[in-house]
Amino acid sequence: MSAHLAYVGIGTNAGDRAENVSRALRELQSVGTLLARSSTYLTAPWGRFDQAEFFNAVVSLETELSPHDLLDALHAIERRLGRTAGERWGPRVIDLDVLLYDDLTIADERLRVPHERLAERAFVLVPLAELDHRFAAMRDALPPSELAGVIRVEREGGTVMSEISSTISGRVRALANFLSSGDAVRVRIERGSDEIEVARRRQHVDRPRRANDRAASGAAALRFDTIKADLVGIFNLSRPAPSEGETFDGDRELAYIEALGIRTPVHSMGAGRLVRISATDGSPVEYGQPLFSIART
Amino acid sequence: MIANRGEIALRINRACQELGVSTVAIFSEADRDSLHVRQADEAFCVGPGPAGRSYLNIPNIISTALITRCDAIHPGYGFLAENARFAEICSDHGLTFIGPEPRVIALMGDKASAKKVVREAGVPTTPGTDVLRSLEEAYEAATSIGYPILLKATAGGGGRGMRVVEEPGELQRAYAGATAESEASFKDGRLYVEKLIRTPRHIEVQVLGDEFGNVVHLGERDCSIQKPAHQKIVEETPAPNLAPAIRASLHEMALRVCRHVGYTNAGTLEFLAAGDDVYFMEMNTRIQVEHPVTEMVYNIDLVKEQIRIASGESLGYRQNDLAGRGHAIECRINAEDVRNHFAPAAGTVSKLVFPGGPGIRVDTHLYAGATIPPYYDSMIAKVIAYGDTREIAIARMERALSETVIEGVQTTIDLCIEILAAPAFRNGRYDVEFLSNELALR
Repeated sequence: MSAHLAYVGIGTNAGDRAENVSRALRELQSVGTLLARSSTYLTAPWGRFDQAEFFNAVVSLETELSPHDLLDALHAIERRLGRTAGERWGPRVIDLDVLLYDDLTIADERLRVPHERLAERAFVLVPLAELDHRFAAMRDALPPSELAGVIRVEREGGTVMSEISSTISGRVRALANFLSSGDAVRVRIERGSDEIEVARRRQHVDRPRRANDRAASGAAALRFDTIKADLVGIFNLSRPAPSEGETFDGDRELAYIEALGIRTPVHSMGAGRLVRISATDGSPVEYGQPLFSIART
Repeated sequence: MIANRGEIALRINRACQELGVSTVAIFSEADRDSLHVRQADEAFCVGPGPAGRSYLNIPNIISTALITRCDAIHPGYGFLAENARFAEICSDHGLTFIGPEPRVIALMGDKASAKKVVREAGVPTTPGTDVLRSLEEAYEAATSIGYPILLKATAGGGGRGMRVVEEPGELQRAYAGATAESEASFKDGRLYVEKLIRTPRHIEVQVLGDEFGNVVHLGERDCSIQKPAHQKIVEETPAPNLAPAIRASLHEMALRVCRHVGYTNAGTLEFLAAGDDVYFMEMNTRIQVEHPVTEMVYNIDLVKEQIRIASGESLGYRQNDLAGRGHAIECRINAEDVRNHFAPAAGTVSKLVFPGGPGIRVDTHLYAGATIPPYYDSMIAKVIAYGDTREIAIARMERALSETVIEGVQTTIDLCIEILAAPAFRNGRYDVEFLSNELALR
């Protein structure tokens, strides 16, 4: 039997959330070997707005179970931990999802891998990017208001703070939204003996030299690459100009950067779908400036 | 365009602002939040953190200057400031390089050839060699000059690529180490040998020259207080307890060399003074870190003068019009762990209070919340104190340093306070061994 790399998403918004996450982690050890876990995040409920907030995390584990067996095992854990089949977006004692399984793509009635809404959900991408930096670009491409809804819960002495009252988390969320909308980096509110400080940390990920190298082994089948300028010059789209939404089967020259009389081509680095043209045709670009976003399938 | 970073980039931006010159800043990804980047009129990222791919990335720098339609490039100090090839490339692209001509940069920037030229002008130099071609040549030279010797980088400055060799057994290792460090810092690993003169003072002379052949000096600076790696930490002007005859001689020799090579823009000639003997060591064809002390005593803005000269203006004054007044001291504050061989200390500055009051000037790019990147040198601020007399300057500096608060990183502030309190410093009788001796006593 061979070992497979799976990423599992954990969510809970009922009962003692920190305890639920801990119990889920213990139960997951029956499914495989836990390799790494992300921080725990406090997140706004997705799809419904009148519920308690979730704790979310992502773990990577090595398992010998097949994808469907893994799904069954996760459902069994959910039942053991007290989840009842309730409404689709209702409160959950525990919610375990298969996010990624090796580099497989699966689409049947029971299971979709990569998880179908992975690319849109900040509460998945933020913890996932902690474990696999290749998702950082996808995370950074989310709207700031989405990212503001995902708040990392600080650990005190190794244990997750379990009780965050809804008033405090509401205030924190409001401050986070305020921060993400402007240039401010840190906001502090003091009222009597209460104080809240929210800081925005720059998410600088050390990108590998090439904007999109593929690792030898990995779990991601769905890729989302940002092609950035690696020199200073004038950005020019190739003719005929590529357009957003266009797909191409193989490597394609999309643009060139003109500098010091030399035109350096910018390639798509393989097949994919052009999701966004991030730079303006004919205008200067600096080092590291995003030029194109390409979804790989 | 300001082709530099940190405090000197901010310094240049300030001079430009006062002159009504718009500025373009370049920065590496590690310096995106840097102060001068925010204050320049435009800013372009030219590469990732490591200097070789950003601040030394000539194509990206030139490209940025052309795109933003710059007229001139100020290289600051370090990086490309003494790179003759870069100065040539600027000129090839119609950009004015703010500094001497490429020919002069090459001549004086190459430490070995500079000494040859200076001897032609009748100025004494430290016994030494031209650029070494091999380790064997180093052995021969060291034997004939006599140990102890210094291995120095010909493209070097700032104490990098330098090794002291006391006896033949140390030479091979020192040669390898100096070559590697020089290659990494200046992209040129060539070395030369120089006699090590024990307990000299390091005295340097500031000069300015315009394109019409006018040259003036602006006094001398004593920079003898140096860390073990020959890196300056405290500088002052005028040099204390310097015999008037020697002082006058240093000034006169500096002017003689400048006229001999046709020097333009700002520069500094460094000498070693031991007893009655004075030896030319090297010339830095750029603005120096410690330029503020000269600015305070001569009431002049050297960076503005650089820009004016580069734009074709004449100095507008002669030597007789210049008179130094008072005394100025500078302390360099580095983010370093003094107890751990000055290892660079990284971190984020959490709290910051800089001094003020009469006679105090602070040149820094630091602000509360700034993160100090690991890729560059560790100097984070310069505190300069001025007074009518040396005693007043010292008192003001002591006050200023005690007012300074920098939290979040370790700094050399306490070391500077100790230096100022040391009897040798207060008496104005110290040499280049002073700091090593002080540190050895701990």
